[in-house]
Amino acid sequence: MRVLLQSTASGILIGGVYALVGIGLTIIYGVMRVINFAHGELLMIGMYLTWIIFTSFGVDPFLSIAITIPAMFLFGAFLQRVLINRVLNALPQNQILLTIGLGLVLSNVVMLIYTSDYKIITTRYSSSTINLAGLPISTPLAISLLITTVITAILYFFLLKTDTGQAIRATAQDRDAAQLMGINVKRMSVLAFGIGTALAGTAGALVSPTYYIFPQVGGAFTLKAFVIVVLGGMGSVIGATLGGIIIGVTESLAAVYVSSGMKEVFVYVLFLLVLLFKPAGLLGRSRM
Amino acid sequence: MKTFGRIPLTASGFAALPLLIVAAVVAALFVFPWLVASPYLLHLMILLFLSVAMGESWNVIGGYCGQYSVGHAAYFGVGAYAALMLLQYKHIAPWWGVWVAIAAALIISLLIGTICFRLRGPYFVLASIAVAEIIRLVVLNWKQLTNGAEGILLVDIPPLMLGGRLVTDWLSKTPFYYLGLILALATLLVNYLVQHSKLGYYLQAIREDQDAAHSLGINLSFYKNVALAISALFTALSGVFYGLYIGFIDPASVLGVDLSVQMVLICIIGGIGTNFGPVVGALVLVPLSEALRANLLSKFLFSIGVVQETSRVGGFLKENLAHAHVLIYGILVVVVILFMPDGVLGFGKKLIARRARPLSATPTPLVGGLDGSA
Amino acid sequence: MRSTAEIARCARSASLSVAALAASLAFPGWVAAETLKIGVINSVTGPEAPIGENLTNGIKLAEEDLAKSGTKVELVWEDDTGKPQIAMSAMEKLATRDGVAGVVGPYTSASANAVAKLAQRYQVPLLVPAAAKEEITRQGYQWVYRLNAPANVYAQVLLDAVTEVGKPKTIAFIYENTDFGTSTADAGKKYAEKKGIKIVADEPYSKGSPDYRSTLTKVKSLNPELVFMVSYVVDAILLMRQAREVGLKPQAFLGGGAGFTTAQFASDKAISGNVLTSTQWADDVKWPGASDFAKRYLSKFGKEPTYHAACAYASMMIMADTAAKQGGDRKKIRNALASGSWKGIMGDVKFEAYDGYTNQNKHPMLVLQIQNGNFAAVYPPDFATKKPVYPFPGW
Repeated sequence: MRVLLQSTASGILIGGVYALVGIGLTIIYGVMRVINFAHGELLMIGMYLTWIIFTSFGVDPFLSIAITIPAMFLFGAFLQRVLINRVLNALPQNQILLTIGLGLVLSNVVMLIYTSDYKIITTRYSSSTINLAGLPISTPLAISLLITTVITAILYFFLLKTDTGQAIRATAQDRDAAQLMGINVKRMSVLAFGIGTALAGTAGALVSPTYYIFPQVGGAFTLKAFVIVVLGGMGSVIGATLGGIIIGVTESLAAVYVSSGMKEVFVYVLFLLVLLFKPAGLLGRSRM
Repeated sequence: MKTFGRIPLTASGFAALPLLIVAAVVAALFVFPWLVASPYLLHLMILLFLSVAMGESWNVIGGYCGQYSVGHAAYFGVGAYAALMLLQYKHIAPWWGVWVAIAAALIISLLIGTICFRLRGPYFVLASIAVAEIIRLVVLNWKQLTNGAEGILLVDIPPLMLGGRLVTDWLSKTPFYYLGLILALATLLVNYLVQHSKLGYYLQAIREDQDAAHSLGINLSFYKNVALAISALFTALSGVFYGLYIGFIDPASVLGVDLSVQMVLICIIGGIGTNFGPVVGALVLVPLSEALRANLLSKFLFSIGVVQETSRVGGFLKENLAHAHVLIYGILVVVVILFMPDGVLGFGKKLIARRARPLSATPTPLVGGLDGSA
Repeated sequence: MRSTAEIARCARSASLSVAALAASLAFPGWVAAETLKIGVINSVTGPEAPIGENLTNGIKLAEEDLAKSGTKVELVWEDDTGKPQIAMSAMEKLATRDGVAGVVGPYTSASANAVAKLAQRYQVPLLVPAAAKEEITRQGYQWVYRLNAPANVYAQVLLDAVTEVGKPKTIAFIYENTDFGTSTADAGKKYAEKKGIKIVADEPYSKGSPDYRSTLTKVKSLNPELVFMVSYVVDAILLMRQAREVGLKPQAFLGGGAGFTTAQFASDKAISGNVLTSTQWADDVKWPGASDFAKRYLSKFGKEPTYHAACAYASMMIMADTAAKQGGDRKKIRNALASGSWKGIMGDVKFEAYDGYTNQNKHPMLVLQIQNGNFAAVYPPDFATKKPVYPFPGW
């Protein structure tokens, strides 16, 4: 029982981070219908940014997101303007390959600059725990879950209540109609890619106190992010949140009750089952 | 055989010329090992053939049928594992084992086809990755059967005897060179046959518009599965060839996602859905990555005097150019997608066409709909 | 409809590219130089690059020292990108185009295995500095030498060390499901059984996961007296952090693999204290030049050397020295490697045949324990500088 509770708890905690990665991807897909295979690399850039700020200025990783978020937003907007924008009307496969190429470029540029050494951020609270009803809960993960929740809430408010947010949602629902309604679709795409990148970067910042950093770290997250997004329903923010938690818990339970090495198999099988039996995803109908 | 009749063999001297050129290139490739003694060059040629075979195999399903599988490593790996496991653990010679490899790949392709062909566009891409990853993880963790992450190290290949005569003992590169050449030519021929057959027309109809093809009475899942089976078969053969030639396989090297991506890139860079696209793609990628990896490029720059080796720029290039080959690979992919959406081959054709008819703008053949998603 | 003219164009462009390829591979001016050449095959890019870099650095120091001592060699660097087929390309090139006298590398077991076969075929002396797979030197190859101790020793020496000071009865294995991880754990499991220690958990994991808590929780519930972890990379830090989080407290933590031997790991005092780990090399061992090597390495590269760096350094010194003495003659070099013996930062080196190995250096592995944030050698007694802390006193 204790094992079950403990592993469920750590599944939810890590799922929170997955959710953040997924939300970024789902917003990008929702607005632009571009599957971003460089998403994990954007997360990696967020990690390096956090690491640089931490090592050169001693700023706590959780505080440094105040710098990481705007910086990553600008970076994302730049990528959209320079690269992604050019393939918005191209074949989906060409979009995929462009982002794969972009991912290779990002990870290898980082490797040239910082070498492929593993970097790890050690803070006072790196291995400390808080006690929750007798269960030890990792402090950094608890903080990151808290921040994730706040960011998701703000994002929700933004998408539902502000004019710009509604314009983004309208674009996601029907690009052509949105354009006819006088929405600047191009600007929305830039915004969406910026937000998506900022969220990936934030996720990177939030995991960096409990994880390690190297140029190829992104790959593992990219694939997982897709699974999360499809699970929740492409383009659905609530879906991505839910998908993240489900994947986190699935991995955690599979690791305990089957085998750590096989835990990803369960994730992919779950993914295929959802694709086959509920292709729109768990919450596919409610776009965003 | 019928399809051969389509080539206007004797229509004019002009039409015979290209055939002559193809024949000359093939003949040159067949005598190549006699002329070139360097095993290094032979090795590169073998890698080139392997890339061609992989690209052409993928092209059948990805290029003609428009189904962008990013999980082809599954067939490659299953083929390699089937043949090498039989050889290593049961001492079954690869020319028998290869049939098992083909059968295994066909079964897997049927399984994957049944699951994935219900999905379209990006969903299909993601599902194909997921299935390949499941297979990789199973091979990785089923240690008793596959030896897991430690992989299979081939001890040796039994000599091939034909009618009591030794054909080859597999010790030199030459038999692998010819096997690779034959494999590459076979996949090229298969592409040609597929493209010019009824099947090819159906596949291209599916690629252009699935729903329209369906309403014309084309059985979508049947033809997609046929294309996938052909593709899987030759990908598996490439896998067997890889396993025998390299002599070592493990899940990372024959079942990884990057291998699947590589097959797609060969076609994208060369020119997707064309006979010679994957050949061009392989001709770009294999020499380029080797030249960068072995630092031939910076040496070349030094030797022609563009940069001084001792200068600061020279030092930087020497130090970093070799490390940067994946970076350059990535840049190449981005450039090709942005500026040559039809691949190097398509780009070249357009250039030639533009030179030939400078006034008339050549319309770009648009492949598929704008949005292939469901 | 594709016209035949179109095919012709394709064929023409294809044949042009072949010509370009041939030309690019054959441009003159750099093929045959008179200097003695040694090849280096290493993972400079790709997934193995983080560790590969240590070997590169080690060899760079060796290059400096060789220049200082007047041994004239030119190193030909080759990147295998962590893939065996690329490592083979590199070996083909070194053996047949560059005409090297010998080759040091490759780093990974998979690549080393593939290259060993070629070394034997082309009769080029190959010195493997740090690849752990046992089979590499078990195939009777006359041209393949290995400096480091193979994978099974990692586990054996650790279990020897703890059974010397205690009587543990149960053990849990947590290891990355890579070539290195599984072969080290397998050797450990066999050796544990031989020593009468019961295996209560056998948990392979995919390296690079951000979360091992569930696995560790499961292990904790089984209450093993020894926890044996194999991690080649920074997962070691995550494993120990999370072990602390879930409150895992065995009699000893045993760490196999490079992940546990980095300065980075030791400096995270909250989690690394009293962990026992096996390594090929340590800077405080009384091997000639070891501490000096560590100091120079630190000042040149800004970080502490790993055992890979030391292995690569020693391998290059041995190979270059032997090659220079034998005038670059491959056969003579091979014979000299087979019969010679060396003394350096890796202690005594001699390539011998034993237990089914050929040309394998019987390298004694060390057991280190992290005491107050520093590595201290605690086993074997010949090299021990401190007494081991046992059992694990708690977090």
